[in-house]
Amino acid sequence: MKLFKLFSFRGKVDKSIARKQQFIAQKISRRYCLSAIALFALQGVVALLGAVDLVIPDLPSPIPFEYGRAIHLGLADFWPLIGTMGMVYFFTTAELNREIYSPRLARWQYWIVMFFSISIFGTLALRIGNGREFLEGMPIFYVGICLALALASYNLIRTLLMDKRDITPAAGTMTVGMIFLLLLLLPNTITYSNPITDETTKFWVVHLWEEMAFELTSAGFIATFYIVSGLAPRTQVEKWLYLEAALAIVGGLYGTGHHYYWIGFPAVWLVLGSLVSLVEVMPVGLLLHMTYKGLKSIKIRSKREKLTLWLLLSSVFHHVTGASLLGLLMSVPWVNLYMHGTYFTSGHAHLALFGTLGFAVLAGCYYVLSRGSEPTLKGYRSGVLAIILINIGLITMSSALLVAGLKEAYLWRILGMDFMEVRLLLNPFLILRVLGGAMFTLGDLLLSWRIFKAWQATKLNS
Amino acid sequence: MKLRTFLLLSISSFGLFVAVTLLSAKLPSPMPEQAVAGKLVWQRHNCVSCHSLFGNGGYEAEDLTNITTKEDPSYFINYLVQPPVMRPNKHTLHPALDEVDAENLVHYLEFVQTIPTLGWPPQQEEAGKNS
Repeated sequence: MKLFKLFSFRGKVDKSIARKQQFIAQKISRRYCLSAIALFALQGVVALLGAVDLVIPDLPSPIPFEYGRAIHLGLADFWPLIGTMGMVYFFTTAELNREIYSPRLARWQYWIVMFFSISIFGTLALRIGNGREFLEGMPIFYVGICLALALASYNLIRTLLMDKRDITPAAGTMTVGMIFLLLLLLPNTITYSNPITDETTKFWVVHLWEEMAFELTSAGFIATFYIVSGLAPRTQVEKWLYLEAALAIVGGLYGTGHHYYWIGFPAVWLVLGSLVSLVEVMPVGLLLHMTYKGLKSIKIRSKREKLTLWLLLSSVFHHVTGASLLGLLMSVPWVNLYMHGTYFTSGHAHLALFGTLGFAVLAGCYYVLSRGSEPTLKGYRSGVLAIILINIGLITMSSALLVAGLKEAYLWRILGMDFMEVRLLLNPFLILRVLGGAMFTLGDLLLSWRIFKAWQATKLNS
Repeated sequence: MKLRTFLLLSISSFGLFVAVTLLSAKLPSPMPEQAVAGKLVWQRHNCVSCHSLFGNGGYEAEDLTNITTKEDPSYFINYLVQPPVMRPNKHTLHPALDEVDAENLVHYLEFVQTIPTLGWPPQQEEAGKNS
């Protein structure tokens, strides 16, 4: 244990928190969070339409399936990104207890990120794109998103440098996460002729954004949430934060290997990818430890904090199950050989991306937008109901996809049946997926409405 | 652990990762010009949203990593220029391409087929058996 202590945070931990003060940055963060929630509501509708399109042949639609799917994947990344930008501004100022370096830049950055995100969705609806999975929009728009991320990184770095002796682990982690979001998106603004490079850099967003950069911003947010709301003492929460972040970075980076198995990389990546995927689970264990510490020391909680906690706990649950354990199982090369490229992957992706990141961003956005208000009992209950609907819907649809994937892998990969024959046999599962998705979307809209109401209630006093 | 340690570790891990990744992304043979043009056709028509290459992409249609081993190029060009109805639809046709684009796309798929994928997709024991 002495050795383990070497990795704990050994800096100043006796900072006081002025809970009453509101910074300009926290006002600005509200527009990011509200926009993220609006896009999340849209995402629920887009996803449901896409799922229906798959089970009804010849469904007439102004946007064909392939572009609808592109919009769905774009939204999946960008609504959490916009929400994260708001959360990082809000919680960094709360954590450091000082104003951000340049509120004006943060305002500009909002318009830039919104303009380019909407441009991506708009042009895809008109069937204009670049045809790279998860990055289907025109490359120029991703340059714009990079510009917004560069402004955010610059703003955060300058904020930290205002007082060098007073950089807390949570603020440091969130800033590094934001810088990595930028660094990993940058190579994706180029069109490569080499298909291997194309696949490779794609996974710097598909995998590394979620499993490294967003992991850092989320960990920083969760730590700050506990400290700011007074649920846990700073010493306990921030002790292991840098260790967690370092493990997330090393594990996340080299764990990308589990996406490099079959794309023309040397065989050494089979070993590297599967072994380092084990490292990726470690920070999740530390996150669990941090969450437990935060929960254990609770005395009284407001309904607002409770609702945030339910969202946060949903995120932690899916992080451990659908993302880490299921992901670890899939990263075993012999398993991956058969499950790769089937609906099984899709099931895992929904649990991991929305389950882990989506819920965490929803928790942050709700907390930011409800600042200075308390939900009524009725409001609290409908919020809890929405969270239950989203969880059951997500688990139903993902399970349907996982089972469909198992059946698909058996018939198609092991028995060698024709792909289309197998695909038609999967229809019952895809119909079940629509039902789960419908439940999800219902909860999605209900929760978005709840958060919108919270925003309305706090509009005047902020 | 202090911020400085954390930053040093992050920067060095990232630098090394980028280096080994770029070294690993080498192609087995240089890419012919038509294949390069074909890749742009692939992207322009957003094929990846339904089909997959190396198993990455949409789950709605066949994986095309080794598709060119199954039929002659002329069959595929014909398929793309005069597309049939897509099952299970009754009316919706597969998106159509013009002759030049179709040829380039087939060249691209032929090139993709030469990339070694370490035994993926898993092949059935009875080679040549199409059940």
